[in-house]
Amino acid sequence: MATQPASMRPLARLNPLLRHARACNQRRSFLSITPEDIRKHKPLPGFSSLTSPRQPVKVIPTFPPRPAPKHTCPDPVAFIEATQLAQLDPTGARTRLFAKYNSEGAKVGDVLLVRLKNGDPFAGVCINIRRRGVDTAVLLRGQLTRVGVEMWYKIYSPNVEGIEVVQRMQKRARRAKLYYLRQPRHDRGSVENVVRQYMKTRAALGVGTERRKEAGLKQKKSKGKKKQVAPAA
Amino acid sequence: MAPKPPQGLNCTALHPPPFLLPRSTFRAQFLPQSTTRTIKSTFTPRPSRFAPPTTGLPTLSASSTAALARKAASNTLPLRPGALAIKKGMTAMYDAESGKRTPCTVLQLERNEVVALKTRERHGYWAVQVGAGWKHPSNVTRPMLGHFAQAGVSPKRWVAEFRVRDEGGMVDVGGRIGAGWWREGGWVDVRSTGRGMGFAGGMKKWGFSGQPASHGNSLTHRAMGSAGGSQGSGSRVLPGKKMAGRMGNESVTVQNLKVLKVDEENGIVVVTGCVGGPKGCIVKIQDAIKKPWPEFTMPPFTGKISGAPVLEAEVEAA
Repeated sequence: MATQPASMRPLARLNPLLRHARACNQRRSFLSITPEDIRKHKPLPGFSSLTSPRQPVKVIPTFPPRPAPKHTCPDPVAFIEATQLAQLDPTGARTRLFAKYNSEGAKVGDVLLVRLKNGDPFAGVCINIRRRGVDTAVLLRGQLTRVGVEMWYKIYSPNVEGIEVVQRMQKRARRAKLYYLRQPRHDRGSVENVVRQYMKTRAALGVGTERRKEAGLKQKKSKGKKKQVAPAA
Repeated sequence: MAPKPPQGLNCTALHPPPFLLPRSTFRAQFLPQSTTRTIKSTFTPRPSRFAPPTTGLPTLSASSTAALARKAASNTLPLRPGALAIKKGMTAMYDAESGKRTPCTVLQLERNEVVALKTRERHGYWAVQVGAGWKHPSNVTRPMLGHFAQAGVSPKRWVAEFRVRDEGGMVDVGGRIGAGWWREGGWVDVRSTGRGMGFAGGMKKWGFSGQPASHGNSLTHRAMGSAGGSQGSGSRVLPGKKMAGRMGNESVTVQNLKVLKVDEENGIVVVTGCVGGPKGCIVKIQDAIKKPWPEFTMPPFTGKISGAPVLEAEVEAA
């Protein structure tokens, strides 16, 4: 018997063909859709607007930032203070005198003498050093007319001509702020004698004679109106 | 309003016949009749309380033109825009001669560039929109990116508007405003947002006295007390009563600060005294409105109100 052409085969012979096609489809579903599939895909007429690819997002040009002053000068406050200090304390002596890690410098508990441009010199026990850059100040406790007086002096103020350590504390103070010296039982009282002694020694050594004379004269002249010193510096 | 006199030709026709009218009305017919029967005002219109003719100020009216004219006459709008700066902290400056110490605030300008201009024709007033700082483009919304792109400037972290008196205060879009805008010895107003204190009681917020610590007082020492009277005063809390609530975080303007130091290279402007807000907050600096205007030369204004040419060049390059 001659073989029949494919079209003439009975319908039942289609079953294996369909089975094969199904299997192919199934296998295909496991595979991911490739971009080529999408490209080949033709939408049904009338539905093109739903399936058409989106317009690419318009790129908005952005401009690079300019160099920022905060990079060239990250700490303007420190910069301003440094320029100030360069004028007020060009040698850096005042800074060194009150530097925290300078073992030779002034410490709390020392007796300090502050000479002023306009006003009497003031001597007292330093009970506080407030370190704030250009605003650094010391609190001195002394006596005027046998009354305890405390004075703040900004160490970089142009009014402050000089600060001298008259007497160092015997033992290092174990506090940063010696406010206990305000209590009567701890009060050091007048430092006048200590300062006079210091002046004498200095005169003997011949150091700063002119200055001492000036200071001495001022002291004598204005004994009666010492209270005017208060608002200075 | 005065009563309207009878009008129209046949108004008499509506009246009843004369013999039915009261006697007084009947008699009145023999008297000379006036057509209007109203109360004549004896008062002439009063001059305006706010702009009397003697002052020479323009008369008040509700139009925007009049409002602008008033504003110009009051001379309270600066002649040029200001800039945005960051409050960096406080320090002190000494005057070498007098030895006087002046506490001061250090402000640093942050890459100020003009982003847009507000004009009388289009917006109704004159102003300059200034942007400062930098923001990464990925953190900027697309509308704002477009706004910065049309100005030809990098995306800005802060944007603020500075009103100016007239066209003379306009700066080209994309123009830069640096610390050199001001001179030492000049005067500025500085505005910023003050620190927020959160929910504060009446004592802190308004300075109420609180209540005594003792004398039989218990558990009520910082309360505001009474909020108002009872029946005689309406039994209600009057509007605007000072009470506890959110305090601070409001705009604070400090007027008439003297410029002590200007460092154009580092963008530093040092002003006297204190400025509202914490360190690192953004502040607006503009010429002081209560001092004579400073002498300055504005950068040449070409009338450019968008940075379009820059943009095109950039696009071509890309």
